Amino acid sequence: MIKKNSTGKVPPRLSSGKDRETSFQSIWSGTISFSLVAIPVQLVKAVEPGRVSFRMLHGTDFSPLLRRMYCPEEGKIVGQDEIIRGFETAPGRYIVITDEELESVSPQRSRTIEIVRFTDINEIDRVCYNHPYYLVPARGGEKAYSLLSEIMRRTGKAGIARFVLGEREYLVAIKSTGGVLNLITLHYSEEILSDGELAPEADAIDAGEKARIKKTIRKMTTDFAPGKYSDRRRGKIVTFLKKKLKEKAAVEAPEALEEEAVGPADLMAALQESMSRVKKIH
Amino acid sequence: MGGAIWKGYIRFNGTNTAVKLHPAVREEQVRFHLLHKRDHARLHQQMICAYDHKPVPAEAQVRGFEVEEGRYIIVEQSELEDAAQETGRTPENSRAIEVHEFVGVAQIDPIFLERAYFLEPADKGKEYNALAAAMKETDSAGICTWTMRKRTYSGALYPAGRTIRLYTLRYADEIIEAGSLGLDEMALSEKELSIGVELISRLTAPFKPEEFENEHHRKLRDLIEKKSRGEKIALLRPVRLKPTMPDRLLQTLEASLKKVA
Amino acid sequence: MSRRIVGIAGKRLVLSNLEKELYPAYGFTKAAMLEYYESMADYILPHLGNRALTLKRYPDGVEGDFFFEKRCPSYRPEWVKTADIPQGSGERMRVCLVNNAETLAWAANLASLELHVPLNRAVTPETSDSVVFDLDPGSPADIIDCGRVALILRELLADLGLSSYVKTSGKKGLHVYVALNSPDVSFDHTKKFSKAVAIVMQRNYPGLVTARMSKGYRNAKVFINWSQNDSSKTMICIYSLRAAEKPYVSFPLEWKELKRLTGRRDPEKFQVLPAEAVRRVAKYGDLFRDLLSIKQRLPHL
Repeated sequence: MIKKNSTGKVPPRLSSGKDRETSFQSIWSGTISFSLVAIPVQLVKAVEPGRVSFRMLHGTDFSPLLRRMYCPEEGKIVGQDEIIRGFETAPGRYIVITDEELESVSPQRSRTIEIVRFTDINEIDRVCYNHPYYLVPARGGEKAYSLLSEIMRRTGKAGIARFVLGEREYLVAIKSTGGVLNLITLHYSEEILSDGELAPEADAIDAGEKARIKKTIRKMTTDFAPGKYSDRRRGKIVTFLKKKLKEKAAVEAPEALEEEAVGPADLMAALQESMSRVKKIH
Repeated sequence: MGGAIWKGYIRFNGTNTAVKLHPAVREEQVRFHLLHKRDHARLHQQMICAYDHKPVPAEAQVRGFEVEEGRYIIVEQSELEDAAQETGRTPENSRAIEVHEFVGVAQIDPIFLERAYFLEPADKGKEYNALAAAMKETDSAGICTWTMRKRTYSGALYPAGRTIRLYTLRYADEIIEAGSLGLDEMALSEKELSIGVELISRLTAPFKPEEFENEHHRKLRDLIEKKSRGEKIALLRPVRLKPTMPDRLLQTLEASLKKVA
Repeated sequence: MSRRIVGIAGKRLVLSNLEKELYPAYGFTKAAMLEYYESMADYILPHLGNRALTLKRYPDGVEGDFFFEKRCPSYRPEWVKTADIPQGSGERMRVCLVNNAETLAWAANLASLELHVPLNRAVTPETSDSVVFDLDPGSPADIIDCGRVALILRELLADLGLSSYVKTSGKKGLHVYVALNSPDVSFDHTKKFSKAVAIVMQRNYPGLVTARMSKGYRNAKVFINWSQNDSSKTMICIYSLRAAEKPYVSFPLEWKELKRLTGRRDPEKFQVLPAEAVRRVAKYGDLFRDLLSIKQRLPHL
């Protein structure tokens, strides 16, 4: 069946980003191999987008809205088991492709990431990098995983492999950082545009200008500290939301206990008497 | 090369280099549509109310931020945009790609790289050339921030041949720490490690992206064509490899070495 | 996906998608879920009976979308009993009543992992059967802190001549119930009473308890959610599963057991999984049975 992405994403809390929970939901599980060595692994997320996400709600009663597929012919919402995948060959004409047919197109690859070669990490033009993930060893694979990670570190190499995830095949680079294997999907060469015409005329470069810039660069050189930069826009939105929350309670909440609301005086008195007796025992 | 998507200028310490941004990547995909099984009608996405399952038109939809389960703060798109506005932005500095520092190119782990842009000089290119050459010769990347279409970005400028490229960087708190995965280091023998290293060297080859065609893409198109001609599709079961057990790791490495020799 | 046609009390029901893993991380399938509800039918039905059911459906399992359903689906079998209950707008809405095993199986088959019911019966929507103290811990407070609060609450209620019952929510909190079972008790009464109790608890144990809903006040404290005592509110039905990584059950605890658990340091030990739930009810019966029948009166009201 066509799998939807889980909506189990944790929204940014209105508190510091540090206490955000990470869930290690496995995106894919299978085997990574190089030559005859096969390592059972799971693929997990390496990045969690920080963008503040909102939910669409029904304006009348604030119930959440759901995305569903609607059939215009029958005029109704259809369930997951009534949905199939089709490729449009001509306007209104479709070839239906089933999940099994899709998976059979690359049978070798749907459960295996086969490293076909190793290459110097620095040789990979960074424009090729697409999306990063972590590989985590499954039970029994910890030793082989550690080995691969360590030998890649020692040699400064990355593994190049292919694998099929969902409906797409990816070309990937696997590199080792701090004992953990990162898998980064790569763009295919036909997807990378050319910048051949963008460079200016091959004029002689002004040596003086270049020297001056180099001097400035050296003065401004430091170590890379990614923590220095924070998403200002996100910060402003969070501040705005916090302010709104203070001004107006979130919907669905009952009347808040704003004033020192007390119940009927005699009830309160009776309760306090009982409370005092209970406390004496403890 | 199509038109530029944005114009700005690289600024640091008195240097102003006017540039045009072009996306560096265009993704291709075989696109499928979702159809109704019964009548092959093309399905549309609809927002329905979770409570009564009736479709809700756009005018009746509001945007909410979930503070805790089932409780939301309602926000208008316009007040959100106002709040997110960059203050103190004048037309002059609104297009600045402000460089704050330089770092060695190798220091930035690819996990930080998000989206790539090619930069084209917006004028004759004198400063651009000098900057590109200076960055290349010092092997430096410029860490910068800029605002494009109401979004602020953090990024890195890299030298590439004679051109300069700009990559947006992920924020540090968007990266899940490798340490949080809780992986333990396993004890490995020097023998296993040295054979492993040798194996890698034998399997090392230059990486030429052009060698790798999107085969799956091609096979998918073949499949679609076959089906449209009414041919039968042989269904193959996905192959699962047997994992290498820890006590057989050394043997497997040795056998691999023999195989590639 | 596999299907099975069953007959329950002479009614035919098609159970579908039996192999689907509704709790993938734990490996609990739809078949297992249906089996659980079937085993628990005798114990859960008295608590569901004649109450407006709110379904919480997870058609793709706990990792997918969920939706609440209060209105009884129009595609229900004709043998599912319903009632028309008044809504805020003055209109009436048709709701499902789970009065028998076949309706329970039907609801479970819709992947309604969680079954929520209000404190009233459908025919008498203004009458509250009991008072509930919904104990909700604000991180880093946890279920152990809820246990402490529940034990103090029990003493306080006992001093007022009221007996009480406690169950786990199946998530991070506890629910304490006081049976009333009187036709002249309104939600107005129970809300006033529970609010007053919550305030007194907060005054006397300010570091442990809060009676205020606003998030800022709940940090590190147990929130006594007195506002649950309302005709429009629902609570997770006892013996219902919860939709989380593990299929914990909202399960009753004996007070002496709660005392013991609160003294240890392991919050996990409070939780009960389906197999254990089935074992325990077979051995000890329904600890909440008396909640449905004993009559008590609230003081001063």
